[in-house]
Amino acid sequence: MNNYRLTTTGRGRAALGAMLAVLALSLGIASASASVLPAPAPAAAPMMPAAAPAAAADVQGKTFAIATDTTFAPFEFRNGSGDLVGIDMDLLRAIADNQGFKVDIKSLGFDAALQALQSNQVQGVIAGMSITDKRKLIFDFSEPYFDSGVQMAVAKNDDTVKTYADLKGKTVAVKRGSEGETFANSIKAKYGFTVKALADSATMYDDVKAGNSVAVFDDYPVLAYGVSQNNGLKIVTPKERGSSYGFAVNKGQNADLLAAFDKGLSNLKASGEYQKILDKYLAAPATAQKTSFFDLLVNSFPALMKGLGMTLLATALSLVIALVLGVLFGFFKVGESRILRILANIYVEIFRGTPLLVQAFFFYFGLPQLTGQPLDVLTAGVITLSLNAGAYMTEIVRGGIQSVDPGQLEASRSLGLSYVTSMRRVVVPQAIKIMTPSFINQFVITLKDTSLLAVIGFAELTYQGQQIYASNFRTGETLIIVAALYFIVIFILTQLSNVLDRKFNK
Amino acid sequence: MSTTASGATSKISVRNLKKSFGANEVLKGINVDVAEGEVVCVIGPSGSGKSTFLRCLNKLEDITAGTVSVDGFDLTDPKVDLNAVRQHIGMVFQHFNLFPHMSAIQNIMLAPVELKKMDKAAARAKGMELLERVGLAEKADARPASLSGGQKQRVAIARALAMNPGIMLFDEATSALDPEMVGEVLQVIRDLAADGMTMVVVTHEMGFAREVADRVIFMDAGVICEEGAPEAIFSHAEQPRLQDFLAKVL
Repeated sequence: MNNYRLTTTGRGRAALGAMLAVLALSLGIASASASVLPAPAPAAAPMMPAAAPAAAADVQGKTFAIATDTTFAPFEFRNGSGDLVGIDMDLLRAIADNQGFKVDIKSLGFDAALQALQSNQVQGVIAGMSITDKRKLIFDFSEPYFDSGVQMAVAKNDDTVKTYADLKGKTVAVKRGSEGETFANSIKAKYGFTVKALADSATMYDDVKAGNSVAVFDDYPVLAYGVSQNNGLKIVTPKERGSSYGFAVNKGQNADLLAAFDKGLSNLKASGEYQKILDKYLAAPATAQKTSFFDLLVNSFPALMKGLGMTLLATALSLVIALVLGVLFGFFKVGESRILRILANIYVEIFRGTPLLVQAFFFYFGLPQLTGQPLDVLTAGVITLSLNAGAYMTEIVRGGIQSVDPGQLEASRSLGLSYVTSMRRVVVPQAIKIMTPSFINQFVITLKDTSLLAVIGFAELTYQGQQIYASNFRTGETLIIVAALYFIVIFILTQLSNVLDRKFNK
Repeated sequence: MSTTASGATSKISVRNLKKSFGANEVLKGINVDVAEGEVVCVIGPSGSGKSTFLRCLNKLEDITAGTVSVDGFDLTDPKVDLNAVRQHIGMVFQHFNLFPHMSAIQNIMLAPVELKKMDKAAARAKGMELLERVGLAEKADARPASLSGGQKQRVAIARALAMNPGIMLFDEATSALDPEMVGEVLQVIRDLAADGMTMVVVTHEMGFAREVADRVIFMDAGVICEEGAPEAIFSHAEQPRLQDFLAKVL
């Protein structure tokens, strides 16, 4: 599972997320543990489900856009075929069926989902979101559809640790920014254990299996889902009192939708379908069956191919734009205008002098905050890669042009050809030949750099790999498959490039 | 058009030409007139400013001060279309500067096709004529890399002639050649002189200068030290600096 995403997710569920800057400032780490007070819901409609008819007629046949997170297993995640599944997804679809409305689910990421709701781009959010007093100031929540709470799990074959008291002198793994971390820290002095914060669930479980930690503290649904997927752990303590999750709409809006959700939820609970959905993701496995590497390959192949497609799409778009930028700024750099030269230098220094990862965060998270205009992840990713690769392309173009003997331009100008014609007919054809190997190199680098976009939730190859081992916990094998796919694609494309190079640059 | 002291029409007229590279003043006030059909050879020690002077005549170098007029057009006037003027001035470089990604004939055809919008067949026919003139018709489709130094320079001369220039500039055209190839290139230049081409030739070939020049200019330290008929320069040098120079090279 991808590191950044999970950290955000963990924090996002405790605090409200980056866009709510004012609120976020007032929410410290302490608020991560703030348990939900069962305050009365502010809107009147959800409080009177009994008065509503069996189906809310006002929503019949309508389609609602509902935003959700990208990955928060078992509430929302992508299965082996790349489809969005999970408790939230199954529940939402079942309620929509029950109440006769349609949903258009948008997998945006937790923070982006809340932004989309606030800007009315969607009508509701379901994303394993805790109902908190602060959120109630700006959203109306449904009846709680799930009660969470922290539990402790240990390695399946560990019979020595059964209670908190058994942890004395030992190390416990938690997920950074999660409620599990807050809880562990609150009792570590009392029971005398050390807390080790890790970035994501898969790492945490691997740490316990490797014996570096003896136990993990995590939310009940996350742990239960991991156990159901044979993550090698078992749960040993009862659920601590925790938060409840709710479906949210903007305060004072879409009361019909909220009423329909509550009505549908109560119908599903009555019919037993609600429990079926929960059991599907949380029940302990009947038999612990481990599938073969080949099965893993076959099962994960469709999702990985989708990811590879996105990788190639982002690479192709970025390279085309980067080439345009590189040629433009490269000519600025060798040209006679001082202003354009300075402009090109500033551009190159900024994008070569800062990490790609920081640039990706900036364009996806930072820029929308400054402009108020949210960017979808493909756009933000392509902007990042284009500008970054463009800076390197600029240097390649500059270097290529400057490595052509100045006598070539002089000879051409002495014939009476203009600067532009001389460049086009004499200098550039020679420069291209010099630049081609560097272009191929940059092309490979950019293709590999797309993997960094996984951190902003761009569903490319690495991201899909992370999604797969986040749900099946087979980290090593999945990464081998992902790496092999990169290798094969890059090998084929570089061989092809070299053939073309030899053919056209004799 | 300006006129020389003798009253003949002047193709090139240089007045108080100064050129500095940063703080280094390379040309310190040059005054020269070249008449139509005249062959002027420029000699002098390396670093004397001969090549810089030549490169100012088609403004490959920016001119710091003074004026250079070609066919009456002042090159330092920003309103003058430099590209149009350059079409009338062929230039041949020490290191040939042939375009390596084009064949010999393509090197020659480039300017006529791009500038006169001549169709390719006509440009090729004209190019072949020029190649025949320099004795290299059979190398038309050869890339420069496969030609000898002397052949390269002859192609470069043919390329410089492609726009039918009224003036030819030669910048140490034989300095980079192996000795056995110098003759073939000098012969082409000699033929041009015989056809009445106006030429300014920077050269280290004193014998050649003596033979083809109408006038020889001796430059040293950015100024013209002495100029005159070849006989006067080579046999009756007055300046001690010229005598020194000739003693070393002859």
